Amino acid sequence: MSLLTAGIPEIQLENVEMRYRAEAADVLALHQVTLDIAKGEFVSLLGPSGCGKTTLLRLMADLLAPTGGNVTVAGKSAKEARLARKYGIVFQSPVLYDWRKVKHNITLPLELMGVKKSVREEKALELLELVGLQGFADKYPWQLSGGMQQRVAIARALSMEPEILLMDEPFSALDEFTRERLNEELLAVWAKVRSTIVFVTHSIPESIFLSDRVFVLSPHPGRLSAVVDIPLPRPRTAEMRNSPQFFELIARIRGSFEGV
Amino acid sequence: MRGQHSLLRSRALPLAVWALGLLLVWEGGSWLLLHAAKVPLAQSKLPYVHEVAATLWRYSGTLLKEGGATFGNAGVGFLLGAAAGAALAILMSLSRTIERLAFPYAVASQMIPILGLAPIIYGIVRDEQISRIIISGYITFFPVSLNMLRGLRSVDPPAVELMHSYAAKPWAVYWKLRLPASLPGLFSGLKIAAPLAVTGAILVELMGAQHGIGVIMLRNLYYGPSHTYMFWSTVIVGALLGMASYWLMSLIERLVSPWQPEFRPKGGAR
Repeated sequence: MSLLTAGIPEIQLENVEMRYRAEAADVLALHQVTLDIAKGEFVSLLGPSGCGKTTLLRLMADLLAPTGGNVTVAGKSAKEARLARKYGIVFQSPVLYDWRKVKHNITLPLELMGVKKSVREEKALELLELVGLQGFADKYPWQLSGGMQQRVAIARALSMEPEILLMDEPFSALDEFTRERLNEELLAVWAKVRSTIVFVTHSIPESIFLSDRVFVLSPHPGRLSAVVDIPLPRPRTAEMRNSPQFFELIARIRGSFEGV
Repeated sequence: MRGQHSLLRSRALPLAVWALGLLLVWEGGSWLLLHAAKVPLAQSKLPYVHEVAATLWRYSGTLLKEGGATFGNAGVGFLLGAAAGAALAILMSLSRTIERLAFPYAVASQMIPILGLAPIIYGIVRDEQISRIIISGYITFFPVSLNMLRGLRSVDPPAVELMHSYAAKPWAVYWKLRLPASLPGLFSGLKIAAPLAVTGAILVELMGAQHGIGVIMLRNLYYGPSHTYMFWSTVIVGALLGMASYWLMSLIERLVSPWQPEFRPKGGAR
């Protein structure tokens, strides 16, 4: 792809390095990571625990600052992008505020932006429909199942209509069946909002099913060991999980891990 | 609905049996001490419940008025102490330096016996109402501050990071996250402090005041055995005031933060 057709990448990492100060010696969590993510692309950061995939996501979110290299998000530094509210984030746990009803959890970012109440309420209902939770607006988080809570978290991340959605193992705490269903629903939501999505996961099938490209990371030190294109057509369907092409991709990604 | 009724019965019945049993044992014990064992001052040790109840009823006007004076002053002191405690908790949560500066003094303040402090305060301000307010506030301050600080710090790191990701201003992080999250802590502090504030106010009254439940308590103690039922009545009123203050805090907690896990209906809400 030429630079002209690709445009400026939405997220760009150049020689990113992350060192943690530990008692005995410094720990190198990420070593010389360079990658580009195009606008509107769905990519996964895949790897075993300790490979630095979550660290990488947190660097993009400016929840961490790299000890070396550059992180550019939407043409700005990661910090400027955060302050300009360029991304929405979804964590492994839903992180809903117990004292807020579902709809008020969803509109929390809009509240902070000073959006009018009537507009916020309307947006909440719209988003609840998008994630398939009509009728749950006035429930409290604890009245929802884990999968439903995570859908609320996704709706909340989408409420400020961000250009980028950062997702840190959002479905890893859910059972396999719920996870597969939410994968399909996430793609349906993405087809409507068309934001750039960076999805952290340790599940090979999940990364293949969702992504345009999979960034494979290896641990000790965390580094980018392969980039795998996923040529499966879109829209993706549940049956594709059983196709020979899908299994081939699984085998290829498995083979690309180094030193695990 | 049917389930609720049977639940009510199943809880009310054992309670009634216990209360009745205790009453019988008490009355029987009182009779034994007085007539069988012929212990000196038997009624001061274990008075007849019905006599105390009769006295409570007969002097209910006086008891209510003096109890009200105690409760009112304790309440004002409690509110002031709680406000100061909450304010210090917020300051300490904002800055570790403030915490390091203030915390040792807050702890040390709790080492001073109230029994010693009360006459000192009274000697300085020479006003029984203000002394009661100061002591009640002083007692309230520490548990409220400590528990609220814990509440403010109890917030999960991802919840804060979420705020960070929205570029939320520091005041918004407090107003929309830390303060609501600290409410359970704040209320456990308030529930500990409320009965203590009442006890503190009564203690000040024992130092020589004109009004309050502590005053008639002391007076009836001096009058000796002939006023034993009245003395017991004042003790009961004091206990009731403490319980009332606790119930009041529990009620407010339920109204202000109904989302807490312990207030959720059991089973089948999902």
